[in-house]
Amino acid sequence: MTENIITIKNLNAAYQEKPVLWHISLDIPKNSCTAIVGPNGAGKSTMIKTMMQLIKPLSGEVKINGSKDKHELKKIAYVPQKGEVNWDFPATVFDVVLMGRYVHKGWIKRPNAKDREMALEALKTMRIEAFKDRQISELSGGQRQRAFLARAIAQDAEIYVMDEPLQGIDVTTENLIIEVIRHLQQSGKTFVIVHHQLDTVGEYFDHAIILNKSLIAAGAVETVFTEENIEKAYREKVN
Amino acid sequence: MMDVLTSFTFLIVAIGTMVLAFTGGLAGTISVMKGQSLIGDAIGHATFPGVVLSFMLIGIRETFTLALGAIILGIIAFFSIQMITKHSKVTLDGALALILSSFFGLGMALMSFVQGNPDYGGTQGLNDYIFGQAAYMLSSDVYLIIIASAISLLLFIIFYHQIRIYIFDPVFSRTIGINENFMNLLILTITILVIATGLKAVGAVLIVNILIAPAVIGQLWSNRFPVVLLIGGFSGATAAFTGTYISTAGENIATGPAIILSLSAILVLSIFLSPKGILRRGAHKGKLGEDQYD
Repeated sequence: MTENIITIKNLNAAYQEKPVLWHISLDIPKNSCTAIVGPNGAGKSTMIKTMMQLIKPLSGEVKINGSKDKHELKKIAYVPQKGEVNWDFPATVFDVVLMGRYVHKGWIKRPNAKDREMALEALKTMRIEAFKDRQISELSGGQRQRAFLARAIAQDAEIYVMDEPLQGIDVTTENLIIEVIRHLQQSGKTFVIVHHQLDTVGEYFDHAIILNKSLIAAGAVETVFTEENIEKAYREKVN
Repeated sequence: MMDVLTSFTFLIVAIGTMVLAFTGGLAGTISVMKGQSLIGDAIGHATFPGVVLSFMLIGIRETFTLALGAIILGIIAFFSIQMITKHSKVTLDGALALILSSFFGLGMALMSFVQGNPDYGGTQGLNDYIFGQAAYMLSSDVYLIIIASAISLLLFIIFYHQIRIYIFDPVFSRTIGINENFMNLLILTITILVIATGLKAVGAVLIVNILIAPAVIGQLWSNRFPVVLLIGGFSGATAAFTGTYISTAGENIATGPAIILSLSAILVLSIFLSPKGILRRGAHKGKLGEDQYD
């Protein structure tokens, strides 16, 4: 039997005071690579933000490792959508990746040699160590995405939650990200990823959550990612 | 001329304004990078009625109570802005304009009232809080600036990394356990301590400049956050020294405008000469063009 790392029970949530998620109940198995798919405005980002406790649900609950404790959140690394970051802020790529280590630091403690080493390793994994002293704002879209993934890797989390990491990036970066995800999954990590390209769901993911405000289906890709479910999710939007 | 430079009073006042402007440069960099420069302006103007009100309540112009009044009204203004933007359709710039003008208007009205009122004596000095008059600063004013700046700087140093992460990526900072409300309160505290204690030196109308101009100067010279902070802080301090000197040596020149003009001079120089400035940017472009042929 598979162990569930995230359990969502009867979740209702709103985004900017508009209810977008209705009665969602689902489980995300440990060590899975789960895609969240659905049309625009289906509540995909709201769902992961609720998981991260960035949005307070109207009702229902999200449990990480069976617990609602805020401490469990530190086991999740979050990769934001591009627009959420202040690009005018002067920070080098290395600075940004090192930020991932602060989750394990107290209020006063500064990162030590080991933290720097881990940040550098993460940069190497994402093959951007050559850019480490560049300003993050000077990087291309794909390179920025690599830097944020490197920050998540430096966090050394159990769960990686990503909001459309493959949107608007080059093919090389996309392949690299998928390769890194596979590698991390083999070492026991779990991935929950908002994904918008339906044609690659079967190839990249083993689990899927199909969403359009309410849950259409959730489970193993081969059982839930059917034409019928997809049509159900996307047709409602059209009507 | 040398008389001024060696005068003990001048030195004390100059140290006060320099410490203030240095801290202002650091605090202002946070607001500028968060895109909230004008919140400092609204708070600056809003502190003025606080000064007049505490004078009316206590009856004397005493450094600490006036600053306390300034802080209280500044905080009320800040939360009023938040309430307005949260609970109405008024946008942030509308709320800022509204709060800035109505609070400052209240301050002016209260000042006219007490100045024409025989029940209140010693009202002349209240004018100094509008444009700043460092020459009339008391040693208690300088001590208060130093204490408030020290608290601001200490908070800044303790929470330096949290502040950095919060400015760059507020969503990420929440996911690693940095409390957003706490950060907002921290930034407000750091900023308001500078504003409230700097009123007598720089004045309510212009105080925002010692927050914004150094931050802009710092950003023109460097792409590294700690360097931006230090350049901002030291430009502020330099301008404060020059401004205080001009104001003390010259006749009837308010300190606020003198400091602001000095800061503007540094800013104009930076706009032309800094690596991101007009002159160098042209040169840099040529270089990039050359790189293409490598």
